[in-house]
Amino acid sequence: MTFTDFSPLLTILFFPGGLFLMGVGLLYEWLDHKLVARLQNRIGPRWFQPFADVVKLLAKEEIVPAIVNPYLFVGLPLVGLAGALTAALYVPLMGLPPAFNFPGDLIVTLYLLSLLTLSLGLAGWNTSSRFSLIGATRALTQLFAYEAPFLLALLGPALVARSWQVSEIVSRNAGQWLIVTQPIGFVVALIGLMGKLELPPFDAPEAETEIVAGALTEYSGRGLALFHLGKAVELVVGLTLVAALYLGGIGNPLEFALKTLGLLIIMAGFQSVLTRLRIDQTVGLWWRYGALLVLLQWVIWIVWKGLSL
Amino acid sequence: MTTDPNYPWQTVFDKLKTWARVNSPWAIHFNSGSCNGCDIEILATLTPRYDIERFGVKLQGSPRHADVLICTGPVTRQARERLLRTYEQMPEPKFVVAVGSCAISGGVFQGCYNVVGHIDEVLPVNAYIPGCPPRPEAIIDGVVKLLESIKGK
Ligand code: SF4
Repeated sequence: MTFTDFSPLLTILFFPGGLFLMGVGLLYEWLDHKLVARLQNRIGPRWFQPFADVVKLLAKEEIVPAIVNPYLFVGLPLVGLAGALTAALYVPLMGLPPAFNFPGDLIVTLYLLSLLTLSLGLAGWNTSSRFSLIGATRALTQLFAYEAPFLLALLGPALVARSWQVSEIVSRNAGQWLIVTQPIGFVVALIGLMGKLELPPFDAPEAETEIVAGALTEYSGRGLALFHLGKAVELVVGLTLVAALYLGGIGNPLEFALKTLGLLIIMAGFQSVLTRLRIDQTVGLWWRYGALLVLLQWVIWIVWKGLSL
Repeated sequence: MTTDPNYPWQTVFDKLKTWARVNSPWAIHFNSGSCNGCDIEILATLTPRYDIERFGVKLQGSPRHADVLICTGPVTRQARERLLRTYEQMPEPKFVVAVGSCAISGGVFQGCYNVVGHIDEVLPVNAYIPGCPPRPEAIIDGVVKLLESIKGK
């Protein structure tokens, strides 16, 4: 809280809100690619690869297709990135207390994180190319599939702490590794995060072998770069959230790095051993297993609480 | 990439832009009538064995995302329009690489009734990679030479 008194503008523009977060996001993206590459016995990209990609895309021409609504076309990447960046203000990034908080900010954070997928879907619908339309449909279907189980999984720790405020959940559960008592919730949250980020095996919305590049097929230059940045930011925010809620909180930058990197390694493992699921399989997985298992865990937790009182 | 001496930051921006372009060439592959030999070699280049992701090269499905158009084969009458359309869909700045003897000169297909000619007759080509088909090493070398030429601009 101390540095918010210092200057809110600085918080939003540089640390932890804006530039810094994008930098960390791109670095994490590189780590993810590098880990997957190493698991595939490749050398993998250089550390500045995502930075070069983004700068190059920003410096490229942006083609606005003739039949799109130009305001939506230009605005949606901004909305998506802004949502991801705003969500970062409510999570304990780098082990620092969240820049802003209020009761119930866990729910707001989760919805802000969904904004990126939502604007991705709308962008695909807006460009009305057949590939982006199918990509958009799949992205939104997937959103409905993982969103509820992901939300339920992240509310598990909130139940334990009896609070809906991220900072309070983290401080009340400090040092308590909920992954031990709520393993199902942890797995569902982590896999939900992979679904949110459209990482393999949940990359049906951007399956390049079937539908070119999904919802972003018609995007070039700036729009593509902003969506790219949004994904990178969401990766960091999501990892921070899962680590803070399930891995006993985040106290300092070192702990932050270790815990989020641990999660990233697990995710990279999943990415390289699993193949892409069809969109109906994704939906089936979440609703038949994910949601039910989390609810089961809730019931167990509530019954256990009731008995021990 | 013009440099206006009146703005010192312009040079810095241009350097940054060139650096990013050289380090992140995203490619799209178009076969305008090749015998498939060159295409197989291009796919071999993209395998983990050569791992060109370490140079930032990525194969893209959408021409909107690509910087480099990798063409193989002579241009047939039927493929000519598709090739042009793919090229026009790519955002500036864009580069074209012609892979294989056929792409350079028409090769064994030269003079066929259904062939327009080599890639150069349809598109401005930035780099030529000879061979029938060129080895993956040759393709990588060609792309590196193209990047060197971008650096010089
Ligand atoms: S250069 Fe050789 S391998 Fe390539 S398209 Fe022509 S004939 Fe086929």
